[in-house]
Amino acid sequence: MKMYVDSWDPSYGTSFEPGSGEGPGSPSSAQVDTDVEVPASGWAPIEAPAGLRCPDVVLLVDGVRRNDAMLWTEEDDGTSYAGLAASYAAGVVRCDLGRGVAELADHRVGRGLFTASPSAQALSAGPVRYEIHRLGGAGEASKLPVAVQVPLTALEIEVSAAARSHGQDESDLLVVDGPLRSRRQLPRTIGYVKRQESQYLPAALNTVVTALRPGQRTPVFAIGTMWGGWSWYLRLPGAGGAPWAGIVRVECSSEMPAAQAVELADLSCATLPRFASAAYKDPRAPQNLLPIAGLERRLRALLGDSRVLYRALTTATAYAR
Amino acid sequence: MLGTADATPLQFWTAVAPGSYLQLDDVVVTKRELPDREPVTIAGVVTQVRARHEGAQFDSDVFAIADGTLPAQVQEAAEVTTTRVDPELYVPPAPGAVVSRASGEARAAALHFDRMERRVPMGTGRDGVPVFLNADFLDGTRGAHVSISGISGVATKTSFATFLLFSVFRSGQLGADGANARALIFNVKGEDLLFLDHPNTKLDERTVAAYKQLELDATAFPDVRVYAPPRAGDSSGAPDVASRLTGVDSFYWTLAEFCEKRLLPYVFADADDERQQYTMVVHSVAAHLARYAVPAEGGISLDGVRLGSYEDLVDHVVDRLTDDETRTTWAGSAVSMGTVNAFARRLISSKRDLSRLIRGDLAQRRPHQIKTAESAQVTVVDLHNLPDRAQRFVVGVTLKSEFEDKEKTGTSRPLLFVVLDELNKYAPREGSSPIKEVLLDIAERGRSLGVILIGAQQTASEVERRIVTNSAVRVVGRLDPAEASRPEYGFLPPAMRQRALLARPGTMFVNQPDIPVPLCVEFPFPAWATRKSESGPPPSGTMRSIVQGADPFAVVGSRGGSSDDDIPF
Repeated sequence: MKMYVDSWDPSYGTSFEPGSGEGPGSPSSAQVDTDVEVPASGWAPIEAPAGLRCPDVVLLVDGVRRNDAMLWTEEDDGTSYAGLAASYAAGVVRCDLGRGVAELADHRVGRGLFTASPSAQALSAGPVRYEIHRLGGAGEASKLPVAVQVPLTALEIEVSAAARSHGQDESDLLVVDGPLRSRRQLPRTIGYVKRQESQYLPAALNTVVTALRPGQRTPVFAIGTMWGGWSWYLRLPGAGGAPWAGIVRVECSSEMPAAQAVELADLSCATLPRFASAAYKDPRAPQNLLPIAGLERRLRALLGDSRVLYRALTTATAYAR
Repeated sequence: MLGTADATPLQFWTAVAPGSYLQLDDVVVTKRELPDREPVTIAGVVTQVRARHEGAQFDSDVFAIADGTLPAQVQEAAEVTTTRVDPELYVPPAPGAVVSRASGEARAAALHFDRMERRVPMGTGRDGVPVFLNADFLDGTRGAHVSISGISGVATKTSFATFLLFSVFRSGQLGADGANARALIFNVKGEDLLFLDHPNTKLDERTVAAYKQLELDATAFPDVRVYAPPRAGDSSGAPDVASRLTGVDSFYWTLAEFCEKRLLPYVFADADDERQQYTMVVHSVAAHLARYAVPAEGGISLDGVRLGSYEDLVDHVVDRLTDDETRTTWAGSAVSMGTVNAFARRLISSKRDLSRLIRGDLAQRRPHQIKTAESAQVTVVDLHNLPDRAQRFVVGVTLKSEFEDKEKTGTSRPLLFVVLDELNKYAPREGSSPIKEVLLDIAERGRSLGVILIGAQQTASEVERRIVTNSAVRVVGRLDPAEASRPEYGFLPPAMRQRALLARPGTMFVNQPDIPVPLCVEFPFPAWATRKSESGPPPSGTMRSIVQGADPFAVVGSRGGSSDDDIPF
């Protein structure tokens, strides 16, 4: 038996989550077609084709969110609802590898007040405004953070579309942090899943995944769930030697033909290892890509200072009473 | 204006917008709006600029950024030191306020040029626009004296001093004072100051344009008289110069003058001489010479003996001092033999150095004295061939007589500028000597008498403190790193002190009393020759010295033949 230290900082969990009940060790219920690129019996690690260069322009999209304050409303009838004032931002990094320039191509910042209270209004706190996002149901405090994801995803789609509309480059590649989900209509886009929460492949094929060397990928397979699509595993360089270290799952829209998916898989093989982060710089290395880490830092800065916002919110609610 | 660094009324940081830049010494201006008051204009000079990657956490992130994988922004920021607040309301500029580069009148106001009634151009700033020196602090109105420091070779101290003189004489800012002013320049090293009146053949159009920008004509000094010591061992008294052949006069003192004016103490002008016992002997011998020496055919007659040279005089004096009968009359009664011997030993050793300067064999009528009042506008005294002791003697005696002449006339006009390099040799911080006394006198009283010292030295820390502190204008060229950290350069802000270590030739930092920040000045290449190889034809007036040089009775070098003795028709 060998032992390995997971390369992620313990506070971020691990790069796969067996504790959640559906780790890579536990099979997913999804329908998986493993015979898309090569028959399951012929599965072996695949290298990027020789001569394939990563595109000159790679766009990476990510969003960040922060809970600025928890609020409680007091309704006329005496009931009380939980509220969450959150700031969120999405942005696109445009990595022009040809010129050697990575820049923040576009970013949007949104702030929202998430509550189920029927009477709550948008909140103006100092110079910023928290738009009301009214939730249905009882609006338990524990469900509020999840609700922030909806406008954030919308914001991410907005900026990715906007970033594409600036650049007319037909060969660029858009990398979305996290599963594609509703973003699958974007062209030449791959979803990038850092954390393996469930295992899609049958146990026999998992040995192919763990046998991947840095820069290699598995053959493309299809996942048959609602948010499914073409998918493949890829190992990034720079992780320890643990079987699942440095493994990411990449996916692309099921709406494209399989051959195009294989093309994207090859392209990702040539592109993503270049962006892998170093362990001493990023607590989630190597899966947390370098541009994404930089983007998140910039976006967090754009969210504004949390202490200033908290003070503004406190003042605003006190005046409103 | 940055909000991430504290802004104070005297110093603040400004961010530099993408696509623009600020460099050190740029003049910037910003405004601060105040409630119920007129806005305050804050002007300053950039004293530091920095650039960094925002968004990078680790030093090695720069590789990822340059590779194009990590987004980051290059942000430049500049530190501004306030030079002027108008009206005088010391409030910090507000973060976010727009700071812009000042030009034209705003720049002049920021650097206080608008308050200067008479502005002497010193050169151009880093932005290529002229910078000025307030003439009030040069001519003694409110201050006087210039102290120039910098290591030799690259600091171009003498070049700056001569350019400053040129600017004073030619800019017309000092009015009649400028035109009538005189300059006395001691040439200590090489013969590079002997060609001030020769045009520079290497003068190019850029230099001419630089002079024009300062509203000066790129010409040589028009009116220069050069003195050199007589050639050693030459009985005709021809000047000892190698490269300059025309318009050079020799200077010397006759034995009669030596005795009458009591010049003997200047023979003993070493810094530590004053502490020695034998100074008593020096003064009593000088007094004895003054009382009993009788001029005789160029030489002197003493105790009935005719002395025709400095050697003769020294031998005579030593002879009388060693003689038991005459010793008390020469040296006083309470002097031990050891002290007399110490005196005699030093006196004898001075024979070699001074015999060519103190003469008994040359005609007294021949002009041989350095007198700026009767000389040209610029008087250059060449010392570079002289040994150390002789240099001290010439400097000490010349300055003493010039200063005494000024004291006698009692007016501060015409101004006399004295340029003296190696000031640390003549006025060292430690000890005292007759020359140091003269220089201190000039530093402390010269301002009211119109004697302005332009002193240059490698290390201001080794010059008598009272001379440095009396200088209104302080100039620094390239400095030695160890020297730059001394308190004498406290007027330089830290960033400027660092820059002084790598200042290029032709770049000086000038501190003047009414501008709180030293200004970085680039002065143009000299329009006059600084060596034989680049000198143009000599001015016609100097040719006279060739044809008349052999005539010991001619008034050599008197200007342009317009001597009063000439028949006016």
